[in-house]
Amino acid sequence: MSMKRREFLKTTAGGAAALTVLRGKAWGQVKPVKIGYTLSGTGPYSVGAGITQGPNYTLWQEQVNAKGGLLVKGEGRRPVEFISIDDRSEHETAVRFYEKLMTDDKVDLILPPWGTAMNFAVAAVANKYGYPMLGPTAVSNKLKELSLPYFYALLAQPDPIMEAFVGLLKDLKAQGKISKIGLAYVNDLFGIELYNSATPHLKQAGLDVVDTKSYPLGAKDLSPILKGFKAAGADVFLGLTYPPDNILATTQAKEVDWNPAVFLTAVGTAFPFYRDRFKGADGVMGIAGWNPKVKIAGAREYFDAHVKKHQKEPDRWASAFAYASLQILERCVGEVGLDRKKIKEMLDSTEFQTVGGPIKFVKGMNVSTPGMVGQWQKGEFEILWPKSRATGTPVVPKPAWA
Amino acid sequence: MNPTLLVDIVVGGLITGGIYALVALGLNLQYGLMRVLNVAHGEFLMMGAYLTYSLHTAWGVNPLLTLLVTGPASFGAGLVLHRLLYARVLAAGEAPEALESRSLLLSFGLLFVLQNAALLIWSADLKGYSYLSIPFRFLGSVFPANRLVAAGVALAVSVAFYVFLKRSFTGKAIRALMQDPEGAQLAGINLSRVHGLCFGIGIAMSAVTGSLISMLFELTPFIGLPYTVTALVVVILGGLGNVVGSLLGGLILGLVETASVYLATSDIRLIASYGVLSLILILKPSGLFGR
Amino acid sequence: MALVAAPEILSPYYRSLALAILADVALAVSWAFFSGPSRYLSLATGAFFGAGAYLTAIVGARVPWPLPVLGGALIGCAMALLVGALALRLRGPYFAVFTFGLAELAKHSLIWYETGVTGTVGRLILAPPEPWTLYYTILCLAGLAVLTALLLRRSRWGHALAGIGADEERAETLGIDTTRVKIGTFALSAAFMGAVGAAMAPRWTYLDPQVFNPFVSFQTVIMALLGGAMTVAGPIVGAVFLGLASEILLLKFRYFYMLGLGLTLIVVVLALPSGLVGLARHARLTPR
Repeated sequence: MSMKRREFLKTTAGGAAALTVLRGKAWGQVKPVKIGYTLSGTGPYSVGAGITQGPNYTLWQEQVNAKGGLLVKGEGRRPVEFISIDDRSEHETAVRFYEKLMTDDKVDLILPPWGTAMNFAVAAVANKYGYPMLGPTAVSNKLKELSLPYFYALLAQPDPIMEAFVGLLKDLKAQGKISKIGLAYVNDLFGIELYNSATPHLKQAGLDVVDTKSYPLGAKDLSPILKGFKAAGADVFLGLTYPPDNILATTQAKEVDWNPAVFLTAVGTAFPFYRDRFKGADGVMGIAGWNPKVKIAGAREYFDAHVKKHQKEPDRWASAFAYASLQILERCVGEVGLDRKKIKEMLDSTEFQTVGGPIKFVKGMNVSTPGMVGQWQKGEFEILWPKSRATGTPVVPKPAWA
Repeated sequence: MNPTLLVDIVVGGLITGGIYALVALGLNLQYGLMRVLNVAHGEFLMMGAYLTYSLHTAWGVNPLLTLLVTGPASFGAGLVLHRLLYARVLAAGEAPEALESRSLLLSFGLLFVLQNAALLIWSADLKGYSYLSIPFRFLGSVFPANRLVAAGVALAVSVAFYVFLKRSFTGKAIRALMQDPEGAQLAGINLSRVHGLCFGIGIAMSAVTGSLISMLFELTPFIGLPYTVTALVVVILGGLGNVVGSLLGGLILGLVETASVYLATSDIRLIASYGVLSLILILKPSGLFGR
Repeated sequence: MALVAAPEILSPYYRSLALAILADVALAVSWAFFSGPSRYLSLATGAFFGAGAYLTAIVGARVPWPLPVLGGALIGCAMALLVGALALRLRGPYFAVFTFGLAELAKHSLIWYETGVTGTVGRLILAPPEPWTLYYTILCLAGLAVLTALLLRRSRWGHALAGIGADEERAETLGIDTTRVKIGTFALSAAFMGAVGAAMAPRWTYLDPQVFNPFVSFQTVIMALLGGAMTVAGPIVGAVFLGLASEILLLKFRYFYMLGLGLTLIVVVLALPSGLVGLARHARLTPR
C-alpha cells in the first residue's frame, strides 16, 4: 500500500472514530443508558404496537442520541441503548423477558409493552423490582384495583372517555341535531368497560338508546346490527369498537345504505390509515387525544419529526402520549438521575409539560388529560369535546359516505 | 317471521357458506385423499389475499382479474411444496399414523414460515381496500355487492371443480384413489402424481378464496388460522373425503351462523356452529355424508 | 435434582424459563400418555389449560395455595368426563376437530356468561403466590405426569389403551371396556392440563377468556410429536427442545424467529422420521 493511501486510510479511520465519539456511540468510553422493553411484532397486538409505541420509542432515541445522549444528572450525556424483543402478543413471553431485563440485564429503565392486558401482566413484575413504568396504551377501570405504586397510566380511562362522548351527544341533542342512538360494543374488556361507563351517563343525560347490541372480537359481519339500528330509526351510531371491527362497521354501514347523522366509534378511528382507507373518512368520530393543531408547545415539531423519520403520521389518540411518556422520563433522569426511587418520587409530585399537554399523576393516574372526542374533517382529526380542548366544531349531520 | 329477515338470513347464509365451502373443499382434497392435515391451509388463503391486495393497490388490477394470477401461482406453489416436503414423507412407507403426525408437523413448520414471510413483506399493519363496497338491492333487502360477487365466484369455482371431478379423466382418477387406493394403483393410476395434483388444487382453492376475501375484510398476516379451523369444521361436518359434503356442509354452516346472528346475538355465532357440529356428530359420527 | 436446586442458583429469568419449559413438559407428557398409544389426537389441551387458569383467577385470592391447582385438576377432569362420552365415539380427524372446538366453545360460552350475567370480562389476580412456590408446583406436576406416564405404560390399563390404538374393534371383542379406558385416561390427562393452567395463571396477573388459546393445543401436539409420542421420554425431549429453540430464536432473531422455528420443524421432520427420540436410539444402535 502506498504512503498516500495509508495516510488517507488513517485519516478517514481517525475521522470516523471521532465522528462516532461525537455522536455519543463511542466504543466503551461512555456507558450507555440501557432501556428495555418488549413490543408485539406478531399476533393480535402487533397492529397497535407498531402504530402507537414502536415509532415513538425509536424517534425519541434518535433525537436524544443526536444531542449526544440522555442527560443524566451529575453524569452528563450518555447514549440510549434499547434492548427489546418481540413478545408475540404472549403474556408469558413478555413477563419472562421483563424479568430478564430487570434481573439479568439490569437495565436502567423500562418502557411498557402494548395493550391493557399486557400492561397488567408486566406492571406487576415492574412493581416487584421497583422499575417505574409509564403506560400510554393501558385503559381500564381495573387499573385502580391493581394499585401498583410503580405503574403510571397516561391516557384518559373509560369513565372520562364516556363522559366526553355523552357530553357531546347531549350537546348535539340540545341543538336538535340528533334523537335516537344505536349502541354496539365489542365484548372484550375494553368494550364492556366503555359500555358499563356509558350506561349511567346516557341515562343521566336523558338520551334515547333505541337498540343495544354486543358482538365478539373478530366478528365478520356487523350488518345485522347495522340493519337493525337503521330499521329502529337511529340517527346516531355509537360503536364501542376496536380495529378491525371499526373498519368493518364503517364499510358495512355504507353497504347497507345507512348514513346516520353521527357515526361515533371508539378505537382505531384516530389512526391515519383509517382516514386514508376511507378517502378522508369525513364526518366519522372517535376517541381523540391530540392532533398537530393543538396549542401545545412542541406539538407541531413532534408531528413533523415523526413524519420525517417514519414516513407516517402519529395517530391522533395515544401516539403523542407514548412520546410524552419518554419526555417525562427524560426530564426525571435529567433532574434526579437514574435512581429509580427518586424518579418515582418525582413522578408522584411533578406536573410535566409534554406534547400531549400538561400531565400530572395522582396515585398513578393522569388527572390532567380529559377524555376527548374527535372527528375527521378535511384530513385532520379535529378535537370536538370538551370545548376547552377543541380544535374544531362538530359537523353534524355527517357528509355522505365517500 | 318478517320476510326481509328471512331473505337476510338465507342470502347472508349462502354468501358466508359459499366462501366456507370453497376453502373447505381445498382442505378436503388434501386430507381426504392424502390424510395430510394441512394446518397451514389458511396461510395460503392469507397469501392469496395479500397478492390480490398488492396487485390491486399497486397496479390497479381488478381484484377479480387477479384470480388469474393467484390461482395458477398457488397451484404451482402447491405442486412444488408437495414434491419438496410431503412426497418425501408419504414415500417413506410408514404406518399411516406416523405419516399423519409427520405431515402435521411439516404443516406447522410451513405455517410459521409463511406467516413470517408475509410479515416481512407486508408488515403487521392492517391493510385493505374497497371494491364494490356499494349496496345492492335484492329481494327486498340490501346486500353488499362485493359479498355477493365473492360468494358467487366461490360457488362457481366449487361447482366447476365438482364437474371436473365427475366428468374428466383426471377427476375420475382422483375419485378412484379416494375410494380405493390400492385398486386404483393396480389400475395404473400414479399415486404420487395425483397426490401432487390434488395438493396443488387444494392450495389453489385456498388462495383463490383469499383473493375473494381481500375484497371484504382487512388483512393481517394472522388471518389464516381461523379459516383453517372453519375449513376443518366444514370438512368434518360434511364428511371426510366427500366433495358434495364439503359444499353442502359449508352452506349449512354459513346458514347456521347467519341465522344465529340475526335471531339471537352475534355472541353465540360460534356456540351455534359448534352446537350444530356436535349435534350432527352425535347422530352421525362420520359427518353428514361420510362413510 | 438440579431442577430442585434451580431456584436457588438461577436468576429469576432462567428460573422462569425453566418453569415455562417444565409446564410444557407436563402438558406434552400428559397429552402423550393418552393420545400416543390410543391414537386419538386430542386438540383439547387449550380448553383444559384455560379452564384451570380461569378457575385460579376466579377463586385464587380467597383460597390457600395448592387448592386452586387441585381445583384446576378437578375442572379439567370434569370437562373431559362431560365431553368424553360424545367425543370418544369419534374417530381420527373427527375427534381432533371436535376437541379443537372445545377451547373455542369454552371461550365463547364464558364470554357470553360473563357479559350477560356478571357484566365484566376478565379477572385480576392481586396476590399471587411467591415465584418459588409456583416453580415447585410446576416441578411437582411435571414429575407426577412423568410418573403417571411410566406407571400407565406398564399397567393393564395402559396395555388396554395401546390395544385400543392398534385395533379398537378387536380390543372390544377381547373384552376390554374401551369406553371406560378411553374416557378414564382422557380425563386423567385433562386433570394434569387443568392443574398446569391453574398453576401458571398467577404469573399473568390478568386473565380473560382469551386464555382459552388454540395455540396451547397446537404447541403441545408439536412438542409431543416432535419428540416422539410413543415413548415417555419423547414428549420431554420435544418440549425441552422446542422451548429452548424458541427462546434462543426469539432472543437472537427479532424478525426471523418464526421463520427459523418453521424451518427447524421442517428439517427435523424430514431428517428424523421417528422424532428426536429416534435420533438418540439411532445413535445408540450405530456401532462405534
